[in-house]
Amino acid sequence: MTLTSPRTKRRRLSRRVVTSALAILTATGLAGCTQGAMSEGAWGETGDLTYWMWDSNQVPAYQACATAFEKKNPDISITIEQFGYDDYWNKLMTSFVADSAPDVFVDHSSKYGDYASRGLIENLDELVEKDNIDLDQYVNGTVDLWRAADGHQYGMPKDWDTVAIFYNEELASEAGISAEKLGSMTWNPEDGGTYEDVIAHLTVDKNGVRGDEEGFDKTRVETYGLGLDDSGGGYGQVTWSMLAGTTGWTYMDEPTWGSEFNYDDERFQSAIAWWRGLIEKGYMPPLSQTVGTALSSKMQAESYAMVTDGAWNINTYAKLQGVKLNTAPTPIGVDGERASTFNSLADSISASSKNKGAAWEWVKYLSSPECQSTVADAGVVFPSLSAVGDTASERFAETGFNIEAFTTHVDDDTTILFPLSENAVEINALMTNAMDKVLSFSTEPSSLTEVNKTVTGLLDE
Amino acid sequence: MATVLLPEATPSTPAQPTASARSNRRRATRRQTWTALAFIAPSLLGFVVFYFWPTLRGIYLSFTDFDVFTDPVWVGLDNYTRLFGDETFWNSARVTVQYVLINITLQTILALALAVLIHRVTQSTFLRSVVVAPYLVANVVVALVWFWMLDYQIGIVNQGIEWLGGNAIAFFGDESWAIPTIALVNTWRHVGYTALLIFAGLQMIPKEVYEAARTEGANEWKMFWKITVPLLRPVLALVLVITMIGSFQVFDTVAVTTSGGPADATRVVQYYIFDLAFQRLDFGYASAVSVMLLLVLAVIAFIQLRLTRANESDLN
Amino acid sequence: MTTQLETPRRTRPSARRARPSLGKVLAWTALIGFVLVTLFPFYWMLRTALSNGAALATDPGSLAPVDFTWGAFERVLGIATTGEAQAEGGSGASLDFWGYLLNSVIVATSITLGQVFFGALAAYAFARLQWPGRNGVFFLFLLALMVPPIFTQLPNFLLMRDLGLVNTYAGIILPFFFMTPFAIFFLRQFFLGISSEIEEAARLDGASNLRIFFRIILPMSTGPLATLAILQYIQAWNEYFWPLLVGSDNSVRVLTVALGVFRSQTPQGAPDWAGLMAAALLAALPILILFVIFSRKIVNSIGFSGIK
Repeated sequence: MTLTSPRTKRRRLSRRVVTSALAILTATGLAGCTQGAMSEGAWGETGDLTYWMWDSNQVPAYQACATAFEKKNPDISITIEQFGYDDYWNKLMTSFVADSAPDVFVDHSSKYGDYASRGLIENLDELVEKDNIDLDQYVNGTVDLWRAADGHQYGMPKDWDTVAIFYNEELASEAGISAEKLGSMTWNPEDGGTYEDVIAHLTVDKNGVRGDEEGFDKTRVETYGLGLDDSGGGYGQVTWSMLAGTTGWTYMDEPTWGSEFNYDDERFQSAIAWWRGLIEKGYMPPLSQTVGTALSSKMQAESYAMVTDGAWNINTYAKLQGVKLNTAPTPIGVDGERASTFNSLADSISASSKNKGAAWEWVKYLSSPECQSTVADAGVVFPSLSAVGDTASERFAETGFNIEAFTTHVDDDTTILFPLSENAVEINALMTNAMDKVLSFSTEPSSLTEVNKTVTGLLDE
Repeated sequence: MATVLLPEATPSTPAQPTASARSNRRRATRRQTWTALAFIAPSLLGFVVFYFWPTLRGIYLSFTDFDVFTDPVWVGLDNYTRLFGDETFWNSARVTVQYVLINITLQTILALALAVLIHRVTQSTFLRSVVVAPYLVANVVVALVWFWMLDYQIGIVNQGIEWLGGNAIAFFGDESWAIPTIALVNTWRHVGYTALLIFAGLQMIPKEVYEAARTEGANEWKMFWKITVPLLRPVLALVLVITMIGSFQVFDTVAVTTSGGPADATRVVQYYIFDLAFQRLDFGYASAVSVMLLLVLAVIAFIQLRLTRANESDLN
Repeated sequence: MTTQLETPRRTRPSARRARPSLGKVLAWTALIGFVLVTLFPFYWMLRTALSNGAALATDPGSLAPVDFTWGAFERVLGIATTGEAQAEGGSGASLDFWGYLLNSVIVATSITLGQVFFGALAAYAFARLQWPGRNGVFFLFLLALMVPPIFTQLPNFLLMRDLGLVNTYAGIILPFFFMTPFAIFFLRQFFLGISSEIEEAARLDGASNLRIFFRIILPMSTGPLATLAILQYIQAWNEYFWPLLVGSDNSVRVLTVALGVFRSQTPQGAPDWAGLMAAALLAALPILILFVIFSRKIVNSIGFSGIK
């Protein structure tokens, strides 16, 4: 470096700096003009595919599928990445914005509506038709959940789930409650039926007094008869939907993509009122105690005697050490039948994928009998393909749980479809806030009538 | 927040060239201008590209409807009118102010106490290293550790409370506890650091003042109120404003622990902006909320300038 | 200038010789209280990290590790098998610790180098050079301190996307690389304090500003430069939000982001507290080591300038 550089040289230096600064500014300025850019992707038939999923329990089964798939399609390779559910959607959204979305990902029925309406995921109709895929081979309802408001299909169903009661066998027998009794519980929003009797009897305070006995101290509860996950938001999938669903109430005016929510319905609000009443009675923990904990660890600690939870958690409960659990179907409700929210996960293809041809091959494989039987054999979820359902049930039965508690809803057709709506993220945020308030007794269930207007208003946007 | 520094209260005097002739000086100045431009060019580039331009772009976006995937659509003041009727926004503003008040009050009082203790009792570097240690740990880690320690059932704090005969507290789960808890956690992280800022201020108070007061028979308590507090006022004002600007930007702790719940009790402004932008893809409205935050911070900065100027004489 | 500010060693002899007064005892008690509250969470991290995750709930009040094991560290580092990990309450997910550590080092080092070097250049221009518009530009930089990060981060994220820099080191580093107002203020303050005589002498000898800066000013400023570097390193190391936005991809993920991912990886069960605390300790360790080495410098430089 010439330290005593002549002036001209220095000037050139600074000019170069100015020029490059200008160049960068222009670049950013141009970038500013193309704010809405999103790559359209391509239909490459080969190459590397990234596949995202959130449930770590399921990774081994799908890894096995991926390995088998790669053997059959040597010019396609699959990389599976797993992120916890809470992070999953943030990351997915950021990756869409950043144009770095996975080629294929496990999608949730509450989320895909927003993606579909923004053109972020592929419409599969033509592909399904082209390859002559028989949609009737999937469990009733799974395909319906993946038809968006525009009538097109945006995901190939991979599994389904319903809700049942997990209970602590030991605590139940101590209380003298038999499996038969648990299997035939009834419920109504007025006095809670035998369901409330069971919950009360399973509740024990620190002095060993049961919830339905004289001298029960509801401020010092050792074991709650019924556990609480959270307020359930707008879905209440594992919290209140199995109750409200027996009253004839439905989430919306249509099974899917309705134009109005029914949170203002008297039947819904009375179900919620009864449910949160359990907190006042000391049979269910207050909402504030549920932050940062999982139902399963509370079951393990015997803080809860029963919980309502989804089929996807069967393995989590089965693996809990130190406690012996079993399952029972949700109670028979007002209409003389049981009820359960029915949901199905599916695989969606990102519209921005460069190798959508290869991605479709992979998605097709995931919902094929080959991969579906691998998944069924792993006993982690109920596969969407009806033909392999029995395999999964058998595997699940090895846990010692009463698996009929889950399948009964499909067999007896007592399912209510998970609600599908536009603006689901925003709607659920509002409903979570509103339900949190009801559950923490800062508002009354009747306040949901007003909230219903707001969320219904969000449907037309 | 990156601010370790206390911006100077007095305008600095530039180096005075001792060069004699005026024309000489002018030539030197011209030469220096080019050098200076070259010297600040990288910083200026960084400033323009990553501070100035995004600020302009953010302000522009706040007048649009923008979901990232399609071009922004100019909507005029729509986002701002929406903001005034947005209950969630006002709630988040309330929650944030509540957080800042608790955090700053507690943090400042404790830091002041700590700084004075260190100053008057021992000036050990070791001790000062220990109290500043939490500041070195990332927000995320601090949040996790406290989330664990304050767990309702098996957290050590509640174990202690129950051992003492109290009832366990749902620190993060209870609507009325959640914000004070988060404020406390961040107080833990920042108090030692803030104390060192104040400590630096204390060191500038001449020893003689204390010695003189002592010979006149003043006790520590009296000296604290008669000497330390008045002489420290400008420093305290600066520290307050700096910590306050940082405090308004609470995000990490909320993101790691409560995610805004329960019932929006911890949905601070920063988290709401994040939520709007990256979960609901409402970049336009998120920008409008950001502009509001920017305005609030600008007001605080303005007050800072006034305060420091008003108090300048105390020190000199 | 107070960078090399020495702790005054002189104690008041009168106060020393006297019998410890009640006030003194109270003061020490309060100080010890502060220290305990400060250090306890660190101990608790260690205690939890050395416990068996599956057994933690059985003895939550124990001050010693529950069922002592190195298992948590092993599964964080990926040494443990999935089976072992799950037996101790882990998810089976591991942290590619060394990979993330390398990413953190790359990111924090690059940011620090850029900030210190470019900051020194700019600070010198602001402190020692005469040029029109100096105060105006300085005021603008000062304003940049006030802009909340979230405000610039949304547009910056879009910018990075448009430049195709998402999930690259450049994307994580660039916004911090060229300038941080703090570095400029910090060094400007120091440069202002350097006597102008040496500079003038060199100038009379015909040295250019460039030469003066590199040959005289920089060598004189190694102390403050090092202090600044350490402070900025800590800052860059602990950054969470921005790397979360632009660097979530596995190949460029830094430790703080990895920790967040690790946390949410056990959605179906209770959090793996032992594993989390082990991971948190490991993530904080490099900075804590750096701190132990440089604690005197860091401690004395906080509150560094400007008050006088």
